[in-house]
Amino acid sequence: MKKMIPISLTVNKEAYDLLVPPNRTLLEVLREDLELTGTKESCGEGVCGSCTVLCDGLPIRSCLTLAAEVQGSEILTVEGLRMADGQLDPLQQSFIDHGAVQCGFCTPGILMSARAFLNQNPNPSEIHIRRAISGNICRCTGYTKIVEAIMQVAGGGEY
Amino acid sequence: MRLPSFEYLEPENLEEALEFLANQGDEARVIAGGTDLIVRMKQRLVEPGFLISLKNLQELRFVRQENGMVVIGAMTPLSSVLDSDLIRANSPALLEAAKLIGAPPVQHFRGTMGGNLCLQTRCLYYNQSAFWRSGRTRCHKDNGETCYAEENSDRCRSANQSDGACALMALDAKVILESSRGKRILPIEEFFTGKGENPFATESDEMVTEIHVPIAAKGQGSSFQKLTYRSALDFALVSAAASLALEKGKISDARIAIGGAGASPLLLKEAAGILVGKEAKDTRAIDETADQVRRHASAFMVDNLGATLEYRQKMSGVMTKRAIRKALERAKP
Repeated sequence: MKKMIPISLTVNKEAYDLLVPPNRTLLEVLREDLELTGTKESCGEGVCGSCTVLCDGLPIRSCLTLAAEVQGSEILTVEGLRMADGQLDPLQQSFIDHGAVQCGFCTPGILMSARAFLNQNPNPSEIHIRRAISGNICRCTGYTKIVEAIMQVAGGGEY
Repeated sequence: MRLPSFEYLEPENLEEALEFLANQGDEARVIAGGTDLIVRMKQRLVEPGFLISLKNLQELRFVRQENGMVVIGAMTPLSSVLDSDLIRANSPALLEAAKLIGAPPVQHFRGTMGGNLCLQTRCLYYNQSAFWRSGRTRCHKDNGETCYAEENSDRCRSANQSDGACALMALDAKVILESSRGKRILPIEEFFTGKGENPFATESDEMVTEIHVPIAAKGQGSSFQKLTYRSALDFALVSAAASLALEKGKISDARIAIGGAGASPLLLKEAAGILVGKEAKDTRAIDETADQVRRHASAFMVDNLGATLEYRQKMSGVMTKRAIRKALERAKP
């Protein structure tokens, strides 16, 4: 057994002190240690994007990130998108309204990519939105409704 | 997929990192963004005893101008490369390449410039899970003696699919390697060995710390063009980079590199030489150059990436043409 590593993380605004093996990925910590199973694993190789979470506000692949590598960071997962008053994030609501969720497996990742992008670019064009979610794969159907859902929030001026 | 176990080392600065490398040598790998290394570890293509994390090495995150060079720290995230006005002004080919690495929202924040330069060579028959590979005997790159890409090949025929490496080859970059023994500066041609099994000229105690790209001379332009099926996430099926200098309407200097062909980005000196002395609008010379590039690059290609060999070979010429045209557009003094 290799030496365990102490790490402290802020996940969805809650502070955690954890002892993890060096080969534990951030995804494993989130899903298995913290039981935040909103974040999904599909390919496990950084290609599909379903494990996307925000690390200090930037989208990263949690399956390719060692927990030890993000020591001290602030992590936001899909569970933390809900706003302080308990309402869904406008993006989540818009995904529901537009029927942008089919099987739902890619949805948490796409929500996180889109949220990070909108935080930095409040008024993007469609092409920029498409580029922002180009690292997230949906295998149910197409991306039209997803893009529409994001577009509406972007145009809504709430962010 | 779970990662194999390893010991995790967290040096506070470069000196400490180099010391760890000197002590652990072959047993260790440095981890920058990890977007390539972690996948390779999950697939059991590499199982290092030690991982040396570079996350605390702030001194390797920078882009600055120094002695006529754009100097890029190895740990500079691809997103910072994209934001750099210095790189935008001097090395548009590198900017284009960085833009096309992986997918914008993801690889760019974790992926680093040094990491992309050190992207391991790839092959359809090698970059697979341990389970997939267990069905047949090991290939050359996997410490075996078979090649599935080309029958009876006595060596590994994997391809260098790094976009950054191809652009840097055309831009005549230099690579700074450091170890606890000292520092070496290698012209980018010498950084690559051309061998699929062992593509980089680094010693086991060395790591890339900086990349130097010459400041663009007056009338110089460059471009990088990449062929993929999807606009994001894919590795290059074939790519081309060109860096050209114009003087009084004539091409005075040309460098052309092809990626996704051999184990190193190919520098096509003879083909690029055709352009020198020609008028910028001499389309015949451009066609001739592209054809020469196609013939020379084809000799290095085997059928080991996600498109047929014939298509990739043909497109090497097409991508070259596109890169030359774009570079010329930018080369207006």
